Amino acid sequence: MTQRPMIELKDVHKYYGDYHALRGINADIKAGEFFSLLGPSGCGKTTLLRTIAGFEDITSGVVMIDAKHMEGVPANKRPTNMVFQSYAIFPHLTVAQNVGFGLRRDPRSQAEKDKAVAEALEMVGLKGFGARAAHALSGGQRQRVALARALILKPKVLLLDEPLSALDKKLRENMQVELIKLQRQVGITFILVTHDQEEALVMSDRIAVMFEGEIAQLDDPETLYRLPKSRKVADFIGHMNFLPAAIHGEANGEIEVEVLGLGRCHISDKQAPGAVSGGEASIGFRPETLTILYEGQAATDRETTGKVEEVVYYGDMTYYDVKLDGVADPVRISMRNVPGRPVLERGASTRVAWSASALVLFR
Amino acid sequence: MNLNSRWGRLTRSPAFNGYALISPTALYALLLLAAPLATVIYLSFMGDGTGVHQVIHQFQLCNYVGDCNSYRTTDGTLAVAEGYKGAWSDPLYQALMLRSLGVSFLVTLATVVLAFPVAYFVSFFVAPNKKSLWLFLITIPFWTSYLVRVFLWKVILGYNGVVNSGLLSLGIISEPLTWINVNIGAIVVTLAHAYAPFAILPIFVSLEKIDRSLLEAGSDLGESALMTFWRVTLPLAMPGVVGAVLIVFIPTVGDYVTPDIIGGGKLPLIANVIQKQMLAIDNMPLGSAVAVSAMLIVGSVAGLFVLANRRFLKVKK
Ligand SMILES: Nc1ncnc2c1ncn2[C@@H]1O[C@H](COP(=O)(O)OP(=O)(O)OP(=O)(O)O)[C@@H](O)[C@H]1O
Ligand SMILES: [Mg+2]
Repeated sequence: MTQRPMIELKDVHKYYGDYHALRGINADIKAGEFFSLLGPSGCGKTTLLRTIAGFEDITSGVVMIDAKHMEGVPANKRPTNMVFQSYAIFPHLTVAQNVGFGLRRDPRSQAEKDKAVAEALEMVGLKGFGARAAHALSGGQRQRVALARALILKPKVLLLDEPLSALDKKLRENMQVELIKLQRQVGITFILVTHDQEEALVMSDRIAVMFEGEIAQLDDPETLYRLPKSRKVADFIGHMNFLPAAIHGEANGEIEVEVLGLGRCHISDKQAPGAVSGGEASIGFRPETLTILYEGQAATDRETTGKVEEVVYYGDMTYYDVKLDGVADPVRISMRNVPGRPVLERGASTRVAWSASALVLFR
Repeated sequence: MNLNSRWGRLTRSPAFNGYALISPTALYALLLLAAPLATVIYLSFMGDGTGVHQVIHQFQLCNYVGDCNSYRTTDGTLAVAEGYKGAWSDPLYQALMLRSLGVSFLVTLATVVLAFPVAYFVSFFVAPNKKSLWLFLITIPFWTSYLVRVFLWKVILGYNGVVNSGLLSLGIISEPLTWINVNIGAIVVTLAHAYAPFAILPIFVSLEKIDRSLLEAGSDLGESALMTFWRVTLPLAMPGVVGAVLIVFIPTVGDYVTPDIIGGGKLPLIANVIQKQMLAIDNMPLGSAVAVSAMLIVGSVAGLFVLANRRFLKVKK
């Protein structure tokens, strides 16, 4: 069964005066999906979210929500609710009044509404906070109130604009887990804006990576991480090492490449997900796909040699910057610290194991 | 000089610096506000002498309640000159006080109701870089003297004024309208115009402070623009509205120029009586008692109003 997408964006353009903020956005967002918009500051994530919410008119293109055209439909008539970046908690109302704000025209009795408010507060872990003044809340509590206030209306789509960016690291990580649980529980489509790639990877079913008003790649987190379509996307999501490469032929779904410092190898054409740009080819690989071999350890696949230039100790992990023989710039290798395995010193010579299956080709 | 001396430590403390900073202002306020006020309160409990500005320094309550007397000094002994009623016992003052409160109420209502849309427009619809220009334009009426503005309204609303002669020459009316010149309405119009900027500014400031995402949140939660205004904008603008009400209401009760000029002395308000008692009739104790009573009444009305709106004033934005 193919389900109709909850949100369809077709060639959406948005101009602010002369500034082209959205440059042809195309995306289908499935019902019940946790979808993230990820990109650097100023790339148009908030603009796209506000376009869906109905706060911005688009210049051209189509926005459809639940198979309905949204042109001319104001924000208060759309089946979406938003958790604002600043939370936008009404300061003159109590927590319960904030949460119940959208229920005014709900035909239920006041007692039933009060019950719904109490349930919504309980769902976000704020049981008993109803009578508090809204300004007497911490950042994390405000965020929960904003969430409860939106969820109580049972929207088809919940829009979240960097809801966690104001929280400290620990609270942010807790809230990430809670948001995921909540989304599974209520089954509402979530669209999350974030510029934190880790947050996007942890939380999303699918991620759209945006640069300068365009979606550069739209994939699930694993594909996005393992097979980025461009060096830009690769660089934005985690760390990626790049080595110059030359292509020596392509046959039967295999590409033969000569990689500086690693040598000649065959990779599958699935490892070249991006379009051919015609520029110089390069090979990318994540820090954890290389392994530093200790004395006497044999490589499972291929190996090369290098010299440790920098050691950064992280507790559970150690990052090494290793200069591979024959390569000018060092590559980053991350190793899990396990007992009985000493952390290497700077300047040490080492063998490095690698595998052609973990490489990504950009061409 | 020993900098660690007690004096040295005192003069370097932040509290001392704070007091030093406000002391000229504090002194000024004390001399020009508290001292005259104390004098007026003192006078209101004294007796009236028939001599010019003569006061008999003898405590009594009859300037407020009951029957009172003015005294003549003959050969060093006091003799009763004439009797009068205290401020709260004379129905005239009660009537005037009520009229004054009514006029002030109408002026406040008119001013705030008209000022709100202007403040709203400047805050929400004027581009940020043009706002100061607009505020500047709003203060233009202050460039001319208050008296000139009052006279201008007389010219506009008077018996042979602009409005009447205009309507007459157009044949819309056959006789000059009298209800627009010598009456309460004309006084209200004039005062409302004079106090408009005082009302616009505090409302503007409180509108400026409203986080615009709150209005988007209102609409996002399903409310129309009008309901969002009613449920979000207005409650959050209330501190400004309360400020505007007080700024307009309190001084208008004390205004005596406008009723004099516009009303032509035919519609005195409480302040006109105070002025008359103090100067023309030269009964300073009674004038003071009326003034103190008016002050107390205005203070209580203002206090009750603030109290009624305290839930809006507590809001931290
Ligand atoms: N009202 C506006 N008028 C003019 N330009 C705007 C307006 N709103 C946004 N822009 C511009 O559009 C671009 C995209 O803005 P947007 O707020 O969508 O960025 P963002 O991806 O959400 O960034 P951030 O992560 O910093 O929030 C920016 O360059 C911004 O300057
Ligand atoms: Mg943004």
